[in-house]
Amino acid sequence: MLKFSQYIIPILVVILLIISLFKRNKAFDSFASGAKEGLNLAIGVFPFLAAVFVCVTLFKVSGLAAYLTTICKPLFEFLGVPVELAELIMIKPFSGSGTLVELENIYEQYGVDSYISRCASVVLGSSETVFYISAVYFSKCNVKNLSYGIPLALFITFLGAVFSCFVCRFM
Amino acid sequence: MICLQEPDSAVGFMLNGTSEAVRLTIKLTAIYSLWTGILQIMSDSGVEKTISKVFAPITKRLFKGASKEAQSSIAMNFTANFLGMGGAATAMGINAISQMGEKKTNIDRNMMMFFIINVSSIQLLPTTVIALRSSYGSKTSSDIILPSLVASIFTTLIGVVLVLVIEKIKDKWKFRHSDYQIRHPERSRKI
Repeated sequence: MLKFSQYIIPILVVILLIISLFKRNKAFDSFASGAKEGLNLAIGVFPFLAAVFVCVTLFKVSGLAAYLTTICKPLFEFLGVPVELAELIMIKPFSGSGTLVELENIYEQYGVDSYISRCASVVLGSSETVFYISAVYFSKCNVKNLSYGIPLALFITFLGAVFSCFVCRFM
Repeated sequence: MICLQEPDSAVGFMLNGTSEAVRLTIKLTAIYSLWTGILQIMSDSGVEKTISKVFAPITKRLFKGASKEAQSSIAMNFTANFLGMGGAATAMGINAISQMGEKKTNIDRNMMMFFIINVSSIQLLPTTVIALRSSYGSKTSSDIILPSLVASIFTTLIGVVLVLVIEKIKDKWKFRHSDYQIRHPERSRKI
């Protein structure tokens, strides 16, 4: 299955090039004109990323993250989520690379095929980096106030984490 | 908090944050240019139209009143998300949001729906996690696919339903409010 999934994207790209060849479309020119847009996107995204990353770093190093984790532990226990995952679930909305590091720690500590590691994998596999998405997606438009968007997104991420651990018990 | 404890290191930490943003932006420039290039080939060769037609029944229902372009961007974003092409998904997501909210300063129902669906993750194969698992010597590295999929579908459904419910409540409240003003103009002015 893993081998197969590694092939999906390259094969799709090749298929796309073949289609474009058949339609007599100049693939090279199209690619070049599209790639120019990529630069603009990245530049537009940068200021928001900078702001979000400063907040995230401060959130982590100030100890606020650890403090919140200890507060939430009883809640996690009550909901049937392994306490070891508390930190992972707390970091996930803020930083994708941070959670991967945390995931590797969990693998090393508890073994890849343990229940805790599987839970952690599923939690990551079924959630997204909320603050990154909100900063990046809305970077090009004038909407800056997401009203109930962020709270709802965080709530859903949390619900997803709880549900993931629940599913892991049976599957 | 950190300002009080270690004032010397605070600026350093903030700089850490911004330099991480710079590093990520450079990485993203590479990723975005690759995917926007490929996406341009897709739209020039007509593949995008086919994809947006396939998704039309869903996008039309979930995103009422969105323009044709926005709907096709949404369809492309969903496809990229399904396949785990993170860079392509973000590029299309930015397009979709900016097409939906061109002249708006407040988030509307469609944008909220799109945001929530993206946040709840609709990836079919969590490739990064699977690769990491097998690199740590897992014997069953791909057995998390099914649970992840179930969890993803669950959160996406909950998200969609919650957005629909919240927007309905908001509409009702607005309707009542305007109704009240029509019936009792003098009273509502006092309020």
